[in-house]
Amino acid sequence: MNKQLLGVIDATTVHDDLHELSIHRSVAAIPFGGRYRLIDFILSNMVNSGIQSVAIFPKFQYRSLMDHLGSGRNWDLNRKRDGLFFFPAPNLDKHYTGIGTLDHFADNIDFFERSTQEYALIANSYTVFNMDFQPLLDWHIKSGCDITEVQKEGKSLGIYLVKKTLLMDLITTRSETGYSNMRDVATDLDSQFHLCYYNFEGYASMVDTIGNYFRTSMDLMKPEVWKELFPKDRPILTKVKDEPPTRYDVDASVRNSMVANGGMIEGTVENSIIARGVKIGKGTVIRNCIIMQKTQIKENCLLDSVIVDKDARIEAGTVITAPADSPTVIRKGSVQGVGSSS
Amino acid sequence: MQKKKCVAMLLAGGKGSRLHSLTKNLAKPAVPFGGKYRIIDFPLSNCTNSGIHTVGVLTQYQPLLLNSYIGIGSAWDLDRKDGGVTVLPPYAESSEVKWYSGTASAIFQNLNYLDQYNPEYVLILSGDHIYKMNYELMLNYHIEKRADVTISVIEVPWEETNRFGIMNTDADLRITEFEEKPDVAKNNLASMGIYIFKWSVLREYLIRDDQNSDSSHDFGKDIIPLLIQENMNLFAYPFKGYWKDVGTVQSLWEANMDLLDKDCELNLFDHSWRIYSVNPNQPPQYICPEGEVSESLVNEGCKIEGEVSRTVVFQGVTVKKGAVVKETVIMPDAVIGHNCVIEKAIVSPGVYVPDGTIIKPGESANDITLVSEETIGELQSN
Repeated sequence: MNKQLLGVIDATTVHDDLHELSIHRSVAAIPFGGRYRLIDFILSNMVNSGIQSVAIFPKFQYRSLMDHLGSGRNWDLNRKRDGLFFFPAPNLDKHYTGIGTLDHFADNIDFFERSTQEYALIANSYTVFNMDFQPLLDWHIKSGCDITEVQKEGKSLGIYLVKKTLLMDLITTRSETGYSNMRDVATDLDSQFHLCYYNFEGYASMVDTIGNYFRTSMDLMKPEVWKELFPKDRPILTKVKDEPPTRYDVDASVRNSMVANGGMIEGTVENSIIARGVKIGKGTVIRNCIIMQKTQIKENCLLDSVIVDKDARIEAGTVITAPADSPTVIRKGSVQGVGSSS
Repeated sequence: MQKKKCVAMLLAGGKGSRLHSLTKNLAKPAVPFGGKYRIIDFPLSNCTNSGIHTVGVLTQYQPLLLNSYIGIGSAWDLDRKDGGVTVLPPYAESSEVKWYSGTASAIFQNLNYLDQYNPEYVLILSGDHIYKMNYELMLNYHIEKRADVTISVIEVPWEETNRFGIMNTDADLRITEFEEKPDVAKNNLASMGIYIFKWSVLREYLIRDDQNSDSSHDFGKDIIPLLIQENMNLFAYPFKGYWKDVGTVQSLWEANMDLLDKDCELNLFDHSWRIYSVNPNQPPQYICPEGEVSESLVNEGCKIEGEVSRTVVFQGVTVKKGAVVKETVIMPDAVIGHNCVIEKAIVSPGVYVPDGTIIKPGESANDITLVSEETIGELQSN
């Protein structure tokens, strides 16, 4: 058990390029892979690495995030001691940039004081990966590092490991040092600290644009990526829903697709990701699409390279296609097709 | 302790020997059903959906999996501060170990469980059937009729009446006679094994039954006939809807196939009466480029590379390339090897069906093959 490590997830990030998917929700809560939200990956990685105390720092639009995480029960974080903590920013006017904003931490400094863990792992909320943090911690200690940044092929993954006492120093001295976030600390060339870089060799994708979201989603259909992200002994946990298995109709034809539970499929689906409770009508063809929870697509539609957000309705006979490199996004709850305005 | 209006007692100790190797290591109520459920999910979900939040689950035969599956009942929202689900195994007293020798003796031995709640009514259920039922409506009927006992009944085809306990009633549905598996039935109202008792009546009759050394301590054989004989108020509650005893390999297969019918009365997609279950938390199913799925139910964590039609596929199943599976139930974590041909079968949980295995129904097309480790062993030795 990794009682040495405190998990800190920065869920404040706003990506302008993900705007269409994050109007109603924080980036951390963007649905991904048919049944997950982006935050599930980092949160499950922490839990699978034995971390028993996780603090989430959200800022905007965190209602769906709170609803998703609940008491933390699905991640086994509904504990009497430690568990899941939620620290929304007390002041929306304060401008946060970068991952691991020290100002935001400062508002909750007593949490860090009270926590008994010796080290803190500070991570962003939107990386799709499956990583064990134990070897990282061992390496950090063995190498005598002050701050370790996790990288992939020389690029920062927005994940930092630091001794908790040092983190608290960084928080309290932030006005003198000029460091506003963990990235500033880790990238300071004149740093007085021993900065280290740890290379993560597995699959990792930071989802920060629609294009990137789309590509990362499609990567799930590559067997080697699937294997790395969803090994049986290190599962990605999420809020469970009591949906029945998905029903495929006589006329259904589904190829190279990921389909979550509770769906009713009567049409053709290819190279797509279908989330929980989606209905796809007869004669409809869905290609290269991401269809989110509870969306209904009626009969005889054609959708190619479209991301349809939750609870949308696509009326019968609607055709929506987009170039493969720039998918169209249909917003949450919207109605498309005959009689609709868009 | 807060007084409970109605407490449910769920008999879940059944061996289900006609399910053969499926129940070798687990009790019948724990047998997988419908792509993600276990049989016991149905009565437990019915309880929680009917507003009955105090449920005693009586276990005896192979209880390990059942106990861990039920846990503290959170899957069915039955983890309650007061009441909730309690697993009630047989136990030893200072003088002797008391196994549950019949359905009535199982309840009798847990009188102290019921006494602590001192309910007005006790609902007795079995963990052997697939159905959705609002027990609250039955309770209202029971109260309205001022009944001592209400027995839920369902119309069965006349030619099958010899398989059931048949209730003969008067015009007002008062039960006048109970016939266990009659050769010539006067009625086609079969008992569903669901009883609501006035607690005071149940308590008295269970104590009397315990003292009767000739009794087999069974509700159907002993308690109900005695109540009728003593002219107590017994009423039949007619239930309409899907109800199936899945006690045999054939009927278990049939009930699974029923779910593939779009208009099946047992609608698993009805959100107002969800069937809850312990969710495996696996990734979505992946239908590979070579895969083909039609008229089927498929659960999370499956990988389908072959052809699947009219089949119920549980979580974590792999169907490899070139395999053709028809009218089959594939239970959790089973693997169907390359180029297998499987028709009309139930593949047991976790079984690895080796590449190229052919399983087809024999002479009588109604035969359902139960594919277990042993079946595979036999096929390989031939």
